[in-house]
Amino acid sequence: MDSCPVQLAACGCVSALGDAAETHAALLRGERALALQPVHGALGGDPVPLALLPGRNLDEESPPSWLPAVRRLMGACPDRPWGDRRHPVFVTSSNFGVGNLFAFRHNGELSHLNYGTPEACVAFIARELGWGGCITIISHACVSSNLGLVLAARQVASGIADEALVFTFDFLSPFVAGGFHALKILNSEYPAPYQAQAIGSIGLGDGAAFAVLRKAGPGLIIAGQTLYNEMHHFTAFPADGSGFGACIEPLIHLASGRRIWIKGHGTGTLEAGRLEAEAFGRSFPGSPLVGWKGSLGHTLGSNGLVELALAVESLHSGRIPGTVGSAAPTFSANVALGPVMDPSFDGVLCASNAFGGAHAALLLCHA
Amino acid sequence: MADPLNSRIKTMIVQTLRLEGVDPASIKDDEPLIGTGLSIDSIDALELVVALEKEFGIKIRSSEESLAALSSVSGLVAFIRAKADPSRLPPV
Repeated sequence: MDSCPVQLAACGCVSALGDAAETHAALLRGERALALQPVHGALGGDPVPLALLPGRNLDEESPPSWLPAVRRLMGACPDRPWGDRRHPVFVTSSNFGVGNLFAFRHNGELSHLNYGTPEACVAFIARELGWGGCITIISHACVSSNLGLVLAARQVASGIADEALVFTFDFLSPFVAGGFHALKILNSEYPAPYQAQAIGSIGLGDGAAFAVLRKAGPGLIIAGQTLYNEMHHFTAFPADGSGFGACIEPLIHLASGRRIWIKGHGTGTLEAGRLEAEAFGRSFPGSPLVGWKGSLGHTLGSNGLVELALAVESLHSGRIPGTVGSAAPTFSANVALGPVMDPSFDGVLCASNAFGGAHAALLLCHA
Repeated sequence: MADPLNSRIKTMIVQTLRLEGVDPASIKDDEPLIGTGLSIDSIDALELVVALEKEFGIKIRSSEESLAALSSVSGLVAFIRAKADPSRLPPV
């Protein structure tokens, strides 16, 4: 566990429902961004729940159709010489521009290769946003942005950097949707995180977010972060669920004396959802558990930071969106289906998980 | 008489998953396919499901249905007979 607190100086996100404030408000209203769309875009295929940025098609374009949304998002980022040695940038994604690589293979358009590898895609974004060369590229499936936050916090806490920027993005493509569809966990059902039912399913969503970290100061701090990797299998967790508990256990002491709620991972798959809900019920009894992927879909490598930005909105307003898309019965009694309106909470534990048994969690609270 | 679909599926399992040195006939009809002697895991299951969908024109809707279908060779035979267009199946 990293327990050097760092200040979350700025944070923002974009989802299919808008920016952080718009998305938070829509979640409070119980809106679902997911809509059934052909899994292979223009090529058709089974209808699956996807949450794309407004006006964006699933099929890749060149230049990428997500670029205007990224520009708008980063317009809210504090102006710094990002990418110099004292202001490093950590860029995280699970898919980068792999959809463009697929598009190139499909239609032969060379321009797609400008975004088709992690390096090319990040170089493109850096040029667009005017960053310098001190950029670290990180990809670790669906805990990618969590890993970026850990590494950025270490640089800030150690004094190597004055401030660090973490930027994360994952935008859907037929290639990505097709992969999850082949696994059958993306099917024609809408996700219902933590709901005990016969068939599990996920939805997928577009997402991008940023966070600026600096040494501890007033406002919100990330009090501690944990990573735990079971290295079990490409896709599966160990059946006993021990990794979920092992990841969050170090945060129990850090959270003691605080009144916290839990923002879980909650994709809508049955086994992982049950194990996660039960682990939180054991370790944090009395803390309500919510998950937002039943509305936003799983934004893959960006989910940790996208949902952190929404947790910030929730902490500031004292209004926590519920687990949109789910209904009783749930896997554990701590799952909050509806919004929780309570300004007395002073912290939130945010968790994300990834294929193979990679777990990540952090405690966000008032300084 | 043995169901010819049974031996066809066993051969598909060996070929699709490239199980070197495994005689298709040695796969037991009622032994669980996942987590036992063949060591089939979720990635193997994905490959197998894709091959079965292509071969028999069936649709498997969810990972839970996929796991149920892959319970055993006998279970798979029953599942395919129930779901596939009979014209794509060998007669019993």
